[in-house]
Amino acid sequence: MKKIPISTLKSDVVMLWALVTTSLCIGLLLNQFRDRPLPLAYQSKQDRMMNVVNNLASAKPVVPSTSEAIPEYVGLDEFRAIVEGKKGVVLDARPEIFHRLGHIPGAVSLPREDFEHAYSQHQDLLSDKSALVAVYCSSSSCEDSELVRDALRKLGYTHATVFKGGWSEWTAAGLPEGKNL
Amino acid sequence: MDGSRASGGKKSMREFLSNRWTILVLRIVVGATFIYAGSTKIGNPQAFADSIATFQLLGSQFINLLAMALPPFEILVGVMLLMGWRLRSAAFCAIALAVLFALALGQAIGRGLQVDCGCFGSGEPSVFKTWMSLGRDLLLLVAAVTIYAKGLGWISICGNEH
Repeated sequence: MKKIPISTLKSDVVMLWALVTTSLCIGLLLNQFRDRPLPLAYQSKQDRMMNVVNNLASAKPVVPSTSEAIPEYVGLDEFRAIVEGKKGVVLDARPEIFHRLGHIPGAVSLPREDFEHAYSQHQDLLSDKSALVAVYCSSSSCEDSELVRDALRKLGYTHATVFKGGWSEWTAAGLPEGKNL
Repeated sequence: MDGSRASGGKKSMREFLSNRWTILVLRIVVGATFIYAGSTKIGNPQAFADSIATFQLLGSQFINLLAMALPPFEILVGVMLLMGWRLRSAAFCAIALAVLFALALGQAIGRGLQVDCGCFGSGEPSVFKTWMSLGRDLLLLVAAVTIYAKGLGWISICGNEH
């Protein structure tokens, strides 16, 4: 490998700096044209969810939950009984595109990333705040179902729970899939 | 005998890496990878910011700025590599990016964090995928270093630029 002169290295660093600055300007400019521009400071998924819940709660006062008899999580057998016996509302917290590609039969899409909009669309379905609501997402490593369940509990849903295994455990068990492409 | 065979192998490897066709292929592979990586993230900076946050490296005031700036940067570097414009500087930027990614992924593995690399759009955090991402990143680094060292701008808009 031939030796690289200092002047070349200097010009490379200058170019790197120029590209970083240009990219930042492009990124900030593009952000201004988005439907929902990113704020300059990052908010975690939990914080964003809390803001949404606070917005919804200020629009409709929340009745504090009195009892939370249902556990925070349900296993495959319990969840399957809920789905097959139509004992409650099943919510899919994954992004809507994944719901379209395949979901648990009877599940309704309530994506974590679009909670506010999707929640207002499903007001009829979610009118009974004491009804059993089971939420799932992709797998045990995703946190979207827990965030949606926590948001629902804060909104007064007393019987909201999570199927932790999610879509991956459901399909691995060879259980039926619903599709709406 | 073995020594001469080894030196012959080294020589042929050096010739292979100096070959203009090899450099062109490396430019296309690295450039296309960066363009693809940038374009999968540029449309959803929020998801990319969530991926960056899983690395637990940056403060909240820097995460969104990086999520906005990095995808255009990758696309610009990729286009420069493909077009051969300021090829050596483009390869230098690619090296800087690959080193940055390797450090971020390495510290995540070292700290036992389950991160979502976010390299080609967002996904599920996973240790296996983090190792895969690190391996892929190191391959990109080797390719970028080769382009930088040889600096052959064959089939470029600026000719044989160094």
